Order: sequence, then C-alpha cells, then structure tokens
Amino acid sequence: MHVSLHHYLFVSFMLFSLGLLGVIMRRNLLVIYMSLELMLNAANLALVSFSRFNNKLDGQVLVFFIITVAAAEVAVGLALIVALFRKRQSAHVEDLTSMKL
Amino acid sequence: MNSSLIMLEISVIGLGLVLMLADLFVPAERRRFIGYAAIVALGVLLITSLSGNGSCGQFGTAFGGMFINDGLSLLFKQLFIIAAILVLFMAAEFSDKLAAGSVAEYYSLTLFALAGMLFAASSNDFTMLFVSIELITITFYVLVSFQRSKIQSLEAGVKYLILGALSSAFMVFGIALIWGTTGELNFTKLAAVAPQFADSQMFLLGVLLVLVGLGFKIAAFPFQIWAPDVYQGAPTPTTAFLGIGSKAAGFVLLLRVLFTAVPSVTAHWANLLIVISAITILYGNLCAIPQRNLKRLLGYSSIAHAGYLLLGVAALSASGQSALMYYLAGYVFTVMAAFFVITLVMRHLPSEDISGLAGLHQRSPLLAATLTIAMVSLAGIPPLAGFFGKFLLLKALIDTAHLTHNHGYYCLAFTALIGVVISLYYYFGVIREIYWGKNPEDLSPIEISSPAKLSLAICLAGIFWIGLFPDTVLNITNLAATALGK
Repeated sequence: MHVSLHHYLFVSFMLFSLGLLGVIMRRNLLVIYMSLELMLNAANLALVSFSRFNNKLDGQVLVFFIITVAAAEVAVGLALIVALFRKRQSAHVEDLTSMKL
Repeated sequence: MNSSLIMLEISVIGLGLVLMLADLFVPAERRRFIGYAAIVALGVLLITSLSGNGSCGQFGTAFGGMFINDGLSLLFKQLFIIAAILVLFMAAEFSDKLAAGSVAEYYSLTLFALAGMLFAASSNDFTMLFVSIELITITFYVLVSFQRSKIQSLEAGVKYLILGALSSAFMVFGIALIWGTTGELNFTKLAAVAPQFADSQMFLLGVLLVLVGLGFKIAAFPFQIWAPDVYQGAPTPTTAFLGIGSKAAGFVLLLRVLFTAVPSVTAHWANLLIVISAITILYGNLCAIPQRNLKRLLGYSSIAHAGYLLLGVAALSASGQSALMYYLAGYVFTVMAAFFVITLVMRHLPSEDISGLAGLHQRSPLLAATLTIAMVSLAGIPPLAGFFGKFLLLKALIDTAHLTHNHGYYCLAFTALIGVVISLYYYFGVIREIYWGKNPEDLSPIEISSPAKLSLAICLAGIFWIGLFPDTVLNITNLAATALGK
C-alpha cells in the first residue's frame, strides 16, 4: 500500500481528537495533561509529514521549537500539579472549587 | 543580519538574569529594593527606546524577516515597558505577602514575561508568534501560582495551565495546517500567497485554530472561561500584568495575523468578528453584575473590555485599529491604577471582597479618589481616557457600517452601548462602597510609601493626559496602524 500525506494527516487528526476528548472527558489532572501532550504531538506529526511531502525544512525546525517549549511547559506544569497535590491530597478537577461566583 | 534591532529584548532578558543573580547576594529583608533598581533600568530602556537612536527607533527586519521593528511594535513595546514598571512598583508593595525572600524571583519572572511581550510585539512569523506567546504563558503559569501557600493561587495556576496548554495545542495545530497548505510561515510572504488558498478548507481551519489560541490570550468569548478564576486567585500584581500585558500581546499578534498575514481571509470574516465581539461584551458585563470579589469583578470587566477592543478589529479599517491601540493605551493606566489601589488596601485582608473598601474615603482620600477615577474611566465617562477610546471605537465602527452597508455593524454598536450602560451599574457599585459603604470594620488610615505615591501619580497622569489631550497619542496610533497594511 502506498502511504500518502493524507494517511499521515488522518493519523494526526485522530491523535488530536483523541487528545481533545481526553482533556474533556477525563477527570484526573495528570491524565488531562498527558492528553494535552498528545495534542501537541499530533501537531508535530502533521508538521513533519507536511515537511516530508512538500520538501521544505521549515516545519521540522518548528517541530524542534515545539518540543522544547513543550518540555518547558511540562516542567512547570508538573511542578504546579505536584504543589497542588501536596496542598489538596487530590489531583481531580472536581476538587478545584475554592473560587466561585 | 541586523542584530542591533533586538538590543531592547536582549537588555530586558539580561536584566532579568542579573536580578536572579542579585537574589543570591542580597539579604532576604532587603530584596524588595532590587525591584527599584530594575525599575530605574527599565525607565532608562523606555527613554532610550522613545528616542530615535534606540533599538526600537530603527525600523527594519531581522532574522530573515521573522522579527520586525515598525511603528506598531514601537507603540506596543512602550506600553509593555510602562506596564512592567508599574507592576514592579506594585510587586515591591506586595512583597510581604509573597514567600519570604522570593520577591527577587518574582521581579525576574516579570521581566522574562516582559521579554516575551516585546518579542510578541515584533513577531512577523508564526514561529516567532508561537515562541513569544509561550514565553509569556509559561512565565505566567509560575507568576499566577506564586503564592504557593494559598490554595486559590495554586488552583488558579492549574486552571490557567490546563486551558493555556489546550489553547497552545490548538494554535500549534493551526500553524501546522497553515504551513502545510501554503508553505509559508512568514506573515509578509503569507499575505502574498494567501488569496490563492481562499477556498482551501484546511487553510481556513488553520487560521481559525490560530485565532482560537489568540482568543484565549485576550479572553474573548468562548475562550474566556479561565479569566475570572485566574484573576481572582493570582497575586494582585500578576493579575494586573495578566490583564494588561498578556491581553495587549494577544491583541498585537491578532492585528498582525489578521491584517498582515491573512487580510484576504479577514475581509470575509467580518460577521464572525462582529458576533464574537458582541457576545464577549454582553457576557463580561452581565456576569460582572453579581460579583462581590473585586478582582473577580475586574476579571469579568476585562472580558467585556476585550469585547470593546475587538470592535476595533471588527471594523476592519485603519481607524478601527488606531482606536484599538488608543483604547489599550488608556486601559493600561486605568487598570494599573485600579489594581494598585487593590494591592494597597486589600493586601492584609483575607479576601478581596468589595466590603473591604468601605470607609476608604476616610482612610485614604488619595486611594479613594484614584479608584473612583479608574472606575469612572473604565465605565467610559468623559473626560477620562476610557470615554474617548470608546468613542473612537464606535466612530470607526459606524464609518465601516456606512461603507459596507452591513447591518451587523449597527447591531454591534448598539450592543456595545448597552454594555456600557450595564457596566455603569457595577462600576458605580464599587464607588458606592468606597464613599457610602456601611459598617466599615477598619478605619485606621492607610500609609502609602513614596514609590507607591509616585506610581499612583503616573497612573492618574496617564488617565487624564490620554483623555484630555488625545492628539499626541492618536498621532502615534495612526502611524502604527499604517504599519499593518504594508
């Protein structure tokens, strides 16, 4: 079977949708955060496959930027979730209710 | 390559690093004074950038067209530096509420966020847009949750983190689609090829997803969900910086993307912009009415103001863009004044409930007057900055309506007027609490340090100057708006 750009893009769309679904449906902060990373990587896959099929390198360079930024985001994000867990003893979104109206 | 163009950004980052190092050598009880050194340094940078010889004064592009210095970036950079200076003043006053000795870190994080905003003002490429917006957002995750001992602060940080990461995922995917279909990341080059892709579904989806990411930054409907919680939970100086810096960075990028990168698409999306702007105004104003927490109230009011600012975008004209920038210039001083008073009055109270303002006119007439003027300006009453800004935005909108015969514009202008009327109610609720609040718990006078007096004077001078002498600022904003169309 010949694998074309559309196949890659289809996988990328699927990954993105799965990630989005995870963010919306799951209730654990860590799982939500994992799903967010999945969404970013879906975008990376799309960029790399566009880059491969269009014979241009800009997309691959952008992927490096995205990976770096995502790493920084994870470092800060996990630290934050851990700090909240130590305070609350829970990583569930239902418990984030100290501010209302 | 013309690297002298980015001297301002390099200086700000260097200053942030120096502050971090100073943290090691300065004893904890004197660290708040590091901030004053940083303020002086930023003041020097502001003055050099205002003069023609500074790095901002030279117009041109660097890094293969990724980085651009023009009238637009100059104006926004000045606004960002002014906002950062006022935030540093505020942080120095707030330092005893932060963890012991950590205020120097707070200063340097503020400067890193400022560097991100400065890059955002100059970005002319989707790579630059992404990196600068992430620099701002990731720094703000830390700044929002800086009071680690306070559960609200952590909660606000996590909410900002999840929704911020979600919006950047949308934006990255959008950039991937735009680049995949057109093969261009540079805004100027993209503008040349974009008309060919006007029918490409994938390209349009990409632009829409990028707008989702930017809509989150400016807190426009339907991406405003985070704003009230984060505004309430974050330390007050962070809230102020978030409400000004982050929002203005979102708007400068929105202007660049809509009017430099994809003007051919924007021209067809007037109705979308009209609807988003109208809903944002109504949502912000209606939800602000029942609020009792002052920072949360200002959070909703900032959503409403994002809606007013979007009027300038929806007008799709140079006068609209110029009005938007004028409005932002006035908004910087107004919001900073409001949050400064909140910092000074409420830093020792457990929450920022409006009842804490009762008796303020006896405790400190200066603070009472400042907050009153800020509220009146936010509501849009002459002769203050907020009134003239709203007037210009509506005028630009009506002009476009006459030109295009699109009745949506008249409806939008009417909605904005209704929004202003609604907002009078809650802004005057705050003023009523200051002067006629019942049962004040504490009537001891509030001591205001001289740096705080200086920054309050700067805010007040800004509000009155922009409101009473609009010509100077309008000349600058008109010039900045012409930079977009090129």
